[in-house]
Amino acid sequence: MSAQSTLAPEEAAPKSRPAAATLARKLAASPEAGVIIACVLVFVGIAANADTYTAVGNLQVMGRDLAQVGILAIGESLVILTGGIDLSVGALAGLAGILAAWMNVNEGMPAPLAILLTLVITACVGLWHGIMVTRLNVPPFVITLVTYTVAQGMALAITSGSPINNLDPMFSNLSQYYIGQIPVPALFFVGAAAVAWFVLERTYVGRQIYAVGGNKEAARLAGIPTARRITSTYIASAVLAGVVGILVIGRMNVADPSVGAGWELTAIAAAVVGGMSLSGGEGRIAGIAAGAILLEFITNGLLALKVSPYDQQVVQGAVLGVAILLDRVRARYFGRSRS
Amino acid sequence: MTATENAPSRAITARLRGVHKSYGPVRVLDLPELDLYAGQVIGVVGENGAGKSTLMGTLAGSVHRDGGEILVDGRPLVAGSTEAAAQLGIAMVSQEFPLVGQLSVAENLLLGRRPRKSKRRLLVDRAAQRAEAEAMLAEIGLSARTIPVSREVRTLPVPTRQMIEIAKAWGREPKLLILDEPTSSLGPVEAEMVLGLARQLAERGGTVLFIGHRLDEVRDISDRVLVLRNGKLVADLEPAEATEERLIREMVGGEVAQGEPKAPPATSPVLLRVEGLTADGLGPVDLEVREGEILGVAGLMGSGRSRLVHTIAGAQPSTGGRMLLGGESYHPRGAGDGVAAGIALIPEDRKEQSLVLFASIRSNVLVSVLKRISTRGLLGPGRERAEARKIAENVNVRMQSVEQPIGSLSGGNQQRAIFGRAFAAEPRLLLLDEPTRGVDVGAKAEIYKLIDRAAEQGMAVVAASSELEELLWICHRIAVMNHGRVVTVIDRADATKERIMTAAAGTSALERKTPDQEELTNGATA
Repeated sequence: MSAQSTLAPEEAAPKSRPAAATLARKLAASPEAGVIIACVLVFVGIAANADTYTAVGNLQVMGRDLAQVGILAIGESLVILTGGIDLSVGALAGLAGILAAWMNVNEGMPAPLAILLTLVITACVGLWHGIMVTRLNVPPFVITLVTYTVAQGMALAITSGSPINNLDPMFSNLSQYYIGQIPVPALFFVGAAAVAWFVLERTYVGRQIYAVGGNKEAARLAGIPTARRITSTYIASAVLAGVVGILVIGRMNVADPSVGAGWELTAIAAAVVGGMSLSGGEGRIAGIAAGAILLEFITNGLLALKVSPYDQQVVQGAVLGVAILLDRVRARYFGRSRS
Repeated sequence: MTATENAPSRAITARLRGVHKSYGPVRVLDLPELDLYAGQVIGVVGENGAGKSTLMGTLAGSVHRDGGEILVDGRPLVAGSTEAAAQLGIAMVSQEFPLVGQLSVAENLLLGRRPRKSKRRLLVDRAAQRAEAEAMLAEIGLSARTIPVSREVRTLPVPTRQMIEIAKAWGREPKLLILDEPTSSLGPVEAEMVLGLARQLAERGGTVLFIGHRLDEVRDISDRVLVLRNGKLVADLEPAEATEERLIREMVGGEVAQGEPKAPPATSPVLLRVEGLTADGLGPVDLEVREGEILGVAGLMGSGRSRLVHTIAGAQPSTGGRMLLGGESYHPRGAGDGVAAGIALIPEDRKEQSLVLFASIRSNVLVSVLKRISTRGLLGPGRERAEARKIAENVNVRMQSVEQPIGSLSGGNQQRAIFGRAFAAEPRLLLLDEPTRGVDVGAKAEIYKLIDRAAEQGMAVVAASSELEELLWICHRIAVMNHGRVVTVIDRADATKERIMTAAAGTSALERKTPDQEELTNGATA
């Protein structure tokens, strides 16, 4: 390369470095690696101090919890990738459970039909979000906050505040079955993560979602249908919330209208801890899944460590704070900065 | 003129008839007739605001023309559609690279489309993507080793991004390639490559519109040089005619509207002394401004005009040197320190940097004096309205009431309100960045009067502007900047447009440094 050339990337000759150092640098430069390592450290740390933590029963509990927060986080992260936010996922999950239960128990619909209809309704909610955001330029925060309020209210209105019992056994079968030792909902989480990963990393649609989030103008000029891509993420997020709602009523064998509120914040936290940038265009599914797992490890671990329930939230918040602080420090030193 | 007459039978790539565009009352582009011939590199030069970018944008579809017809190879170009322009074979490399930083080089090169050789419809074919991206880079003479296609674009330096943009445009096999100062962020090797590509496209029968501010470079590469001034085509020259002197003369216009030459107030005390001041993309700069003096700052885009003003105001951190304000050491750690020291800055972008457009005139103009007019931190509506009216009337803002949104005023009125706000804080030093941008001619004169009044009242004024006429009109002295430094300071009596332009255009392109490149990434402020 000519001495005058200004094109060379700043680290022009990485070949000369030892392979291990290059690998270490690569790991340090990727936000996902940090979360995964944190997962391992937290798990090992808590396991060493609380013997119940690694018991099969407890691991299964964590698996089922993951199906809730983790799946929501995956849907949420798709929306965040486009630079938006979906505050409705928790409330929508709650409403979806109520709707499915109500159609099944009060209207006597067979469970599969009730589930299908519920998912169609949530998809319509997502479509509504997408249209409002892309056509009418309503801020995502606002339109999904509206849905949050309405969904929570509808769950209460439908049930008059009291839980719906006597669900079709199909619901609980869905949530309480095991394949091998693994609870089925955990497999839903793995499945959702795998599909999301595949779409984002391996399809044009997925890459275009990154482009839209990273630089909307560039994407538009390149002929990418930005409105459609954005809308699709809201639909995916809402449908995944519906799935979570259905899994939850199966797990508890009752549809409780107070379920779901506040879960959107955990989902957003998992996405952020997992390396998503709230301004869009950045973050990978591996990181988000790891972020959700990390949060679950901590939440469950605090129980296992018998931390007073009054202190748990403080500890959770502190751990989140430290994780985000470390990530910013890392980003500062390894170039892939984001904000 | 000559170029047109010599080649009556040439194939025409683009035919422009009556194309015009106005922003508010200002007509920024007005071209009754212009033909762009096939097989030519056409240089376009002009001062800032001469209409170069508007012309390019109109052709590329990013600017919606108000009227007129454009035919590309005989087919009409729909106004304001980048897709339509791309379909007719127009590609533009602008100075703000529309790249997605988080994606890889390969993905950016193929943004919005699939690799041609890929059979997969939905799934990303990374191998094909890589191969095609590398082929596109190879087309413009870059090896995959220079630009690894799997790298994230944002980890690459600015010149590399510029080359990626060029590869992207080149890959569309354009008939008309628009290059907007393509070499300004490049080193000499790459600049040479880009010039080579321009020639190559012309030889193949395409047309290149080449905008540049290095006049020697434009002349060397071009088969024809167009000069724009105030949105009009004022000269259409053969390269042989296009000497640097001729181009500058055409760019600045024959007659210069000269104001009464003002004698600098040599007797008043020096208010601001700047010694060896450096900042990102600036300096070292030495300057002095006296009380009651108006010092102009001239320079091309990227020369550091605006940076100088912002650094003095404390809005951009300085990295070295020192400043004395009224004889005391002045070292701002933020814009707040500047304000506290008696400095008022009027930035160039009214909408983004000065005003809350939907808020009332009252709340906009009172921002600078809230503390003074409040009683123990409390404000009353009556007091506010009275103060606001006083401020607005002081600078002659034409309005119905101080409660109307400031965005409903004309540009000139808005700018006067901003001056009123600055004056209300009773500053010692007034810093101006493009004081009349987006203001029509009549309103400009009123703003010049306000600037004069400020100086008469004893304020020191530093005015950065891209409009030379403006500087010649208002200033006592003019500092000319080039690549972050003040290259010369000219007294008003000796100042001419030609002299300023020559100093501003500077010498050889090889001395160019990173400040300009930085500036291009920020998309920004001269």
